[in-house]
Amino acid sequence: MPILEVKDIHKSFDNEAILKGISFSMDAGESVSIIGSSGSGKTTLLRCLNFLETPDEGTITVHGEKIFDAHAPALKPEEIRARRLHFGLVFQQFNLFPQYTALENVMLAPKITAESPDVKQIEETAVKLLEQMGLSDRMNNYPHQLSGGQQQRVAIARALALKPDILCFDEPTSALDPELTGEVLKVIRGLAEQKTTMIIVTHEMSFAHDVSDKVIFMDGGVIVEQGTPAEVIEHPREERTKQFLAGYSSN
Amino acid sequence: MFVTVTLSLLEGFLGTIKLFALTLLLSLPLGLILSFGSMEKLGVIRYPIRFLIWVIRGTPLMLQLLVIYYGPGIFFGVNIWGGSPNGRFTAALVAFVINYSCYFSEIFRGGIQSIPVGQYEAGQVLGMTKRQIFFKVVLLQVIKRIVPPMSNEIITLVKDTSLARVIAVYEIIWNGQAFIKSSGIIWPLFYTGAFYLIFSGLLTLLFGYIEKKLSYFR
Ligand SMILES: Nc1ncnc2c1ncn2[C@@H]1O[C@H](COP(=O)(O)OP(=O)(O)OP(=O)(O)O)[C@@H](O)[C@H]1O
Ligand SMILES: [Mg+2]
Repeated sequence: MPILEVKDIHKSFDNEAILKGISFSMDAGESVSIIGSSGSGKTTLLRCLNFLETPDEGTITVHGEKIFDAHAPALKPEEIRARRLHFGLVFQQFNLFPQYTALENVMLAPKITAESPDVKQIEETAVKLLEQMGLSDRMNNYPHQLSGGQQQRVAIARALALKPDILCFDEPTSALDPELTGEVLKVIRGLAEQKTTMIIVTHEMSFAHDVSDKVIFMDGGVIVEQGTPAEVIEHPREERTKQFLAGYSSN
Repeated sequence: MFVTVTLSLLEGFLGTIKLFALTLLLSLPLGLILSFGSMEKLGVIRYPIRFLIWVIRGTPLMLQLLVIYYGPGIFFGVNIWGGSPNGRFTAALVAFVINYSCYFSEIFRGGIQSIPVGQYEAGQVLGMTKRQIFFKVVLLQVIKRIVPPMSNEIITLVKDTSLARVIAVYEIIWNGQAFIKSSGIIWPLFYTGAFYLIFSGLLTLLFGYIEKKLSYFR
């Protein structure tokens, strides 16, 4: 059974259709990269998965459980909260909480959302995650004392602390200086090697090629082409994919 | 004479501080509620509150004091405040609380709206409730941002309390002025300035301290 099945997601803003029937599925342990030009709806899709937007049409199924159905009655806030925890989201702009240290950022949500939190356990997990992100010596720093790359790695640890089934990344390196993208891509690569289930929206083609089990090319709110990196990036069949990729190789 | 005057002024200043402290105590929470109302999606809530804030911020506090104190008597034929010093103090307090709630609500609104939407969304995707996001994520950031404008407004309040004398509330200026009639001396009135200066100086120090305390993050 696939870990995630997305069926026929539609989303409009102000009567303008942004997602026009997105369907795909993925298995546990896979990493899927989503590529596509600006405005094609990649961020909107991730936001729908994380319940930051409500699709107008479609269903989202995790582990065979339908967690979203546009035709079902609207979900209550507590239902949304429970269901969105199947997903984690790492934002382009990190969005760390400035008044908390790196460690506190990672610990905050597990601590305040659990019924009876085991703070010691939560701290151990957080420390381990930050170490895994290569931030052992930065745990007690505040976000403004960290570089962009370090902040993004804290954000990744923060998302992982809630043990999501599927971790989503929205252009995790786009807000970074070029010399800092490598350290972030490296930890994501590490997560892929550990078979973390991930959806990565990215403009880093060679990265997408190397870490993904599957690549999805989106354009104008639809999936134009999907397949293995070899299929989509090396030997695209669709004209639009070819054009998009040509823009990259010429840069 | 100096000691007599100082003691009398201190007594008046107690009235000033009482008005100041009670106004602050009541208008901070009320201001927060008004700020939520002024950001409410529902127009039936938002528009009346925005209108109230517009009226209160657009007219002099002195006028508001007079309307609140004399208004009920003139329009409804009942002086709900009574003529006693306590009644006048209550009327002044009501006027001050309404006025300052409106000013504070605009400061709160500015502070709350200046928090990037990404902070809320980060809290949401981490499974926090709206309350948790407000209290654990947003509030301290709002406080940090509003300390400077709040400190301005609160120091203005110290001085604005003197307006209460238009409805004969006993405060320090009232007492200072009384010496002109009773002893024919004017310096006690000028001397009141020292009390305001010292008090607002202390407040400035306090707010400077808070600002520094909150400078550990950005
Ligand atoms: N809340 C919103 N209200 C109105 N329009 C929106 C909203 N969110 C997104 N859009 C529009 O939807 C379209 C797709 O946006 P989206 O952010 O999903 O694209 P994207 O593929 O992530 O692009 P990029 O590569 O630039 O990040 C854009 O035209 C955008 O203006
Ligand atoms: Mg985007």
